Amino acid sequence: MPKLSGLFDSFDNLDQIAVENIVRWLKPPPEPGNIENYLAQRILYPQTVPITETEMKVDLAILREALRLLSPKSGKGGAMLGDNPFVNVTLRKILIPSKFLYFIQNLSILTWVFVDGLLFGRKREDHFEDLWTIVLTGELDEIIGSLVIPEFKKGGELKLSLMGKAYGLNKSYKIRAGTLMVIPCPKERCQVAFELKGGEILDKKNFAIEIYGGRLGLMIDGRGI
Amino acid sequence: MHFAQKRIRIEQDVVARIYRSLRGKGKLFVAPGQEVTPEEIIGSSQFSSGFRTLNLASSLGVQPDEVSKYIRKSLGSRIYKGELLAYRSERLFKKGKVVTCPNDGILDFINSKTGDIKITMLPQNLDLPAGVYGIVEACDETRGQVVIRTQVSAVHGVFGSGRMREGILHILTRRSDLVKRTMISPQQDGYVLVDGSLISKDSIMSAISNSVSGIITGGINAQDYEDIAGGRLVFPKKLENDIGVSIVVCEGFGLEPMGEDIYEILSKYEDRFVQLDGNKALINLPSYQSNCMIKIRKTQLPQIQPVSFGETQLVELAVGQKVRVIGSSFSAEQGEIIAIDKSLTHLPSGIYVYLATIETARRKIQVPTQNLEVIV
Repeated sequence: MPKLSGLFDSFDNLDQIAVENIVRWLKPPPEPGNIENYLAQRILYPQTVPITETEMKVDLAILREALRLLSPKSGKGGAMLGDNPFVNVTLRKILIPSKFLYFIQNLSILTWVFVDGLLFGRKREDHFEDLWTIVLTGELDEIIGSLVIPEFKKGGELKLSLMGKAYGLNKSYKIRAGTLMVIPCPKERCQVAFELKGGEILDKKNFAIEIYGGRLGLMIDGRGI
Repeated sequence: MHFAQKRIRIEQDVVARIYRSLRGKGKLFVAPGQEVTPEEIIGSSQFSSGFRTLNLASSLGVQPDEVSKYIRKSLGSRIYKGELLAYRSERLFKKGKVVTCPNDGILDFINSKTGDIKITMLPQNLDLPAGVYGIVEACDETRGQVVIRTQVSAVHGVFGSGRMREGILHILTRRSDLVKRTMISPQQDGYVLVDGSLISKDSIMSAISNSVSGIITGGINAQDYEDIAGGRLVFPKKLENDIGVSIVVCEGFGLEPMGEDIYEILSKYEDRFVQLDGNKALINLPSYQSNCMIKIRKTQLPQIQPVSFGETQLVELAVGQKVRVIGSSFSAEQGEIIAIDKSLTHLPSGIYVYLATIETARRKIQVPTQNLEVIV
């Protein structure tokens, strides 16, 4: 007998989510009572899918908060694989179950939700937490890219250059403090040069590095999470 | 192939067991194999409705240890409402005091340290009618319980709260209306009330204080349900709970008009005896027609009826099936599948799904197959 699966059937903590925390992700903020009933319906029928854009936004907000409840807390040591099915702090990997792609088909948005849920508000324990690998988990794990979190100061700016023939030798992007950008880099390994003004990555201002690319590419999160 | 959860909403005219229990200690008057009618008294019990305390020392204006001197009844004796309970004669500069008993009861206890007395209410004789046409299958004298094989129409809600209760069914509102707190009155003591689309916490509190037995509703706010279900939303329910009234929610969370199917069958039971079990989200509507005895006599039930709650059964979706929408858009609408798409549709939410076309009583809607449950 087939099993009906849904976005939220991986979570048994949905009723622990504070409704005001869901509301803060939504603009304009909806009536909390409506969100509370929406969430309860999702608990009752986890297999259902959102039809409208608004429903999808609420689902994403619920997912962010469900992940946030599971997120490793700063100062409690690195969560090993098994402590949390969605993140491995020791290996700095964000693990996204591939079945989630069926419900949120935009990989950038799905990764963004995971970053918000698992890392938002987390205090870095060391500079290595500036760089994470994003993995789609399933029967075969697939690395889909990297997450770079620059430690910006106010007004900071990052110049990122993708190096190699595939990018016309040098393709540059500018990322300002407070913004998030996804840069396509479908190669398995991407050679990247960073140049920072008013900020650091891995405790450095100017350096080149080879990091994982893939279906997602590079997500540069300069929002100061 | 598209699968959906199958939900039984109404089982019409099935032979089932119902349990009738005495309130308090008492005697059963029936034996296994005996045929019963709804008005037949199958047992009787004595039920004490509690006690009342009075501070006689302050009422008489005496010291607590003096109270026993002024009481006109002996401990353990019966006393009736308005009867002289205690009397202190007139003294110099002090008027005499007369204290009468506020209710019928037994003078049970005098506390000489506080001056309180306790009057236990007189036990009431409660007769237990069968409530249904049926055949007695078992009698448990110790627990004061009778099991009757009868014919019922069983209505299955989505979730609920509260133990098995019974009462006379009364429809309070139309299926899409809200119940106001003021609509519930002491006249509905022991009734099972049918609300329309939403029951509020205030109305539930009012139902409890008016001793309403049960509430059947279309929807309930999540916060209110959490408050009555032990603070968690877990489905299927792992723990039973009871707040003094049994509630069966037939549709879901929020403002959800009760489905036409359930409302229609409940309407036929206005002023009839019904039973509901909130924890199992089950409403038993016993047949009120004597000819149901023919079917009851012919039908034998297995020794133990396996009841599994929360187990979901999946069925393949097909044209012609009756379905109910469980997603947020078109929530709780019911209709018949008239087509299932063979190609994927890109929804405004960004998801690709197969849509089913549903013909409801007033329109045709297209809904992702995931957002449907098959109802029977």
